[in-house]
Amino acid sequence: MKEKGLSYLIVGPFAIILAFPFYVMVITAFKNRTELYDPSITPYWFGKQSPTWDNASYLFHETQYPRWLANTAIVGVCVVAVTLVLAVPAGYALARLAGRVGQSLGVGIFLTYLVPPTLLFIPLFWVINQVHLQNSIWSLVLVYPSFTVPFATWLLMGFFKTIPAELEDAARVDGASRLTTLTRVVFPISVPGILTVVIFSFSLVVNEFVYAFTFISPSDHKMVSTGVYTDLIRGDLPEWGAIMVAALIPSIPLALLYNTFLDRFIAGFTGGAFR
Amino acid sequence: MAHSDDPSHREGRYDRRELLRKAGAGAVSVGVAGSGFGQAFYGPLRFKGRWLKGDLSLITWAHFVPAFDVWLDKTWAPEWGQKNDVQVKVDHILNTLLPARAQAEVAARNGHDIFFDLAPRPQFEDNVINHREIVQEVTRKVGKIGHIAQKATYNPKTKKYFAFSDNYVPDPVVWRHDIWNGIGVSPNTWDSVRRAAPKLKAAGHPLGIGQSAELDSNMALMSFLMCFGSFVQNEKHQVTIKSKRTVEALKFMADIYQRGETEDIFGWDPAGNNNFLYSGKGSMIFNAISATRTPEDNKLPFADNLWIWPIPKGPHGRLGYQHVMGSWWIWKFAKNQAAAKKFLADLEINYKDAFLASKYYNFPSFPGAFPFAKIRKAVAQDTHKPRGKYGVLTTIAQKYTTNPGHPGYSNAAFGEMFSKFLIPKMFAEVSQKKMTAQEAVNAADREIKQIYAKWRKLGKI
Amino acid sequence: MEAVAASRPRGRRLTNVFERPGVFASVLISPAVIFVLLLVGGPLLIAIGLSFTNATSGELHGKWVGLENFRNEWGNPTFQQAVWHTFLFTVISQAVVLVVAGLLAHALTKNFPGKWLLRFLILLPWAAPIALSLMVWKWMFDTSYSIFNWTLVHLHLYKPLEVPQYLAQPKLAMASVITVHAWRIIPFAVVIFLAGLASIPKEVDDAAAIDGATGFRKFWSVTLPLQLPIATVALLFGIVFTATDMAIVYILTQGGPPPSFSTEMVTTWSYKTGIEAGSLGPGAAISLFLLPVLAVVSIAMLLFARRAEVS
Repeated sequence: MKEKGLSYLIVGPFAIILAFPFYVMVITAFKNRTELYDPSITPYWFGKQSPTWDNASYLFHETQYPRWLANTAIVGVCVVAVTLVLAVPAGYALARLAGRVGQSLGVGIFLTYLVPPTLLFIPLFWVINQVHLQNSIWSLVLVYPSFTVPFATWLLMGFFKTIPAELEDAARVDGASRLTTLTRVVFPISVPGILTVVIFSFSLVVNEFVYAFTFISPSDHKMVSTGVYTDLIRGDLPEWGAIMVAALIPSIPLALLYNTFLDRFIAGFTGGAFR
Repeated sequence: MAHSDDPSHREGRYDRRELLRKAGAGAVSVGVAGSGFGQAFYGPLRFKGRWLKGDLSLITWAHFVPAFDVWLDKTWAPEWGQKNDVQVKVDHILNTLLPARAQAEVAARNGHDIFFDLAPRPQFEDNVINHREIVQEVTRKVGKIGHIAQKATYNPKTKKYFAFSDNYVPDPVVWRHDIWNGIGVSPNTWDSVRRAAPKLKAAGHPLGIGQSAELDSNMALMSFLMCFGSFVQNEKHQVTIKSKRTVEALKFMADIYQRGETEDIFGWDPAGNNNFLYSGKGSMIFNAISATRTPEDNKLPFADNLWIWPIPKGPHGRLGYQHVMGSWWIWKFAKNQAAAKKFLADLEINYKDAFLASKYYNFPSFPGAFPFAKIRKAVAQDTHKPRGKYGVLTTIAQKYTTNPGHPGYSNAAFGEMFSKFLIPKMFAEVSQKKMTAQEAVNAADREIKQIYAKWRKLGKI
Repeated sequence: MEAVAASRPRGRRLTNVFERPGVFASVLISPAVIFVLLLVGGPLLIAIGLSFTNATSGELHGKWVGLENFRNEWGNPTFQQAVWHTFLFTVISQAVVLVVAGLLAHALTKNFPGKWLLRFLILLPWAAPIALSLMVWKWMFDTSYSIFNWTLVHLHLYKPLEVPQYLAQPKLAMASVITVHAWRIIPFAVVIFLAGLASIPKEVDDAAAIDGATGFRKFWSVTLPLQLPIATVALLFGIVFTATDMAIVYILTQGGPPPSFSTEMVTTWSYKTGIEAGSLGPGAAISLFLLPVLAVVSIAMLLFARRAEVS
């Protein structure tokens, strides 16, 4: 009982603080523009002419927002797939098997993080042009794994390490090959790790800006971040309401999705770390 | 000066290209598969059954007046395209990101045929064509290029027009007539502004001359310096910021800040001073007419009390920079240079439509394209109160506007000083009493001279 | 193991090759490595090359100037302050993230009504695209429309013209960007910690219970060691990501406020120099300062994570 109370005390306030900006987003998204600019109307709630669908209507009719959402979803799913295919085996290798060479390789790919994209984007754009992927969303599917894979690899390595070697040895003693051990024993247990990598990779795709903006100019091919930011801010006039609507629409489903994934971690381990 | 015909120069490039080609080899197979798919999404159907003189691609900013972009994308470009058998595609992005995009296109030697930015970018001179032809064609049809555009887009050292300016935006002050009336002053001179400052603040409506790391502050403060006879560079592009007049200007502005402004002015982005005005808090800001159009469009209560005046007069007179200058350039690697040149020339020759579509924001860089007299007639039609308020824009454009870098030409060194917000920094040091005016000027002088030395060494000045 | 291998029929000799740990490992790691190196390696080398030239404005080549860019740029006081700011920004925000996320993850392992909803709220900042959620922060920090200031004025705690300005005062500006950065990373750190806690196999947990390890002792001798590899990698990612990401500072403060430019980071300074002003060579040199520093940190932390064995 006391423990539950403590949990509320810790989780409650932080949840409110973390989610507060989203409350402001909701109010701003459905507020009439004139009222938004009127400081005498409380920012915590609506005035007499709100809530209104005007901002959402602007977003959906005057911009290519649905296309941007679709583009982002496609790129996200593809990048997650590529990341898993590359990083899961690599992470396992790092956790269990790698000798010196493997270890150095593993560290090497991590070092590619250390140069900011604000420096790399120019030469990378040259590469993209060479393979004629400019203005195509596939340029991003090509490039994004380069920064999801290293971290995913190392993260999965960490997860694989929590699986005691005894479990695998037991399987091998029973006659299983390394490959079978991997697929039948290790991967199922590492579902939390894999789901974490999925969440991480997908959110990196949704958040990435520099490459998405550099490689793609036409409006109908933009991602959600770049589309909203570059089309809805006009000089010194951001379309505040429309931008807030645009921010809410991907956030809520994604948060729901991630929340569900978290349940998957727990569902597989009733009585494990959780009582 | 960097010569692209220097053989060793070219050889270096070749080696690196080869390296990259090998690096990119593995990606080619993915690329081939992907690009086909990508093309299916891209672009409208070509005109069926007509012989095309090719495609033309442009990139420009998301104009703060959405109606302008609608006019450009849905009226002007398609009509021009039809007349000239060219398929025109226009992309828009937020203006702050244009420099990054430009550099990427240069690096890849591929991108849009015509590129737009809100300032001419002298640093791309070696990568663009000479736009002289376009200037000459437009001159033939409507008369000479305006002196501001000339100074801003021409390099006298290389005798090259490194950009084609179609428009510039005069920079007025926008002030609350009702509030100023209440204290019986108007912002005619900087002296009156200074006298009014404490009274305005006491009335709860401080002034808002930005000293932030952003464009509006850069423009406002450098214009302010000019009103005091202080210039960053001279005709020979030597750094002349260190002078008694600069010191005087710094002290003057510091006084205005300490008695009549709030900390707000240090934390703005380009929309910050606008919000300052829209919230009713601000009594005066330095901004283009987006600051009046938005209140009109959103029916803010004091929209009719927003007056537009030229920059206040200082000891050295009334002088300001244009707020922004629309500059187009055609890359050397553009695929359809002929169409590009014609597009720009035609755009400028017919600039009356652009001017009106932009709600008077875009003034033509070639005055003959829409003479000032005609502009006055047109703006007199505007129904917003006070009637005829936009007429002053012509006066500002004719008499009180000059190019960044005045009395010299715009150049890359000036641009770098601009990007690093060294002028707002200098003013803020003094306003916040972190340095004396003389110390601040000395520090700024040192930093700016370093930048100029660097670009001079590169042969760009 | 050799005995088992030897007892296999000859026909399976080929698959036996994969039984050798080193080979199998290389086969598993190589796709990832090849992909990353091919794609990023070339541009990375170009970027490093640029820093030794006087390249400008998108040209990927220039005249060789040796270490001149490094000397000029690393000697610039603004750059040196940017390094310090980056360090502060990184360390403080990551510390906040570690503590808060650790607390939250631990509290979230218990079941209580409403947990699903509260967890949903906690996840929102990471789920939102940062470029867009930054706009709401901009609005909340706006010098004229800030909801915080509106509240302060209405509670009569401040006069309207004397409210704090979150992006205009040097220390407050740094606090603001740290807050926003921590805000967006905390949910992800919570996820990592929760996933880590969830992947402790039942057997280990049972063993600990049998041994009588509970509460803090269990945390110290069971949970923490198991979490260490994951937590280390997560922290490392946080550090590297914070040091190399520009979005929050660029959008909120543009590196300001003048005159101290207290939020100027290495990344924003490099961007202003290299991209906005067009001085690519010097801009690259600025960016590359982080490379050796972060490389040392990365290698150290990665090796530590790798060595943290489970017994």
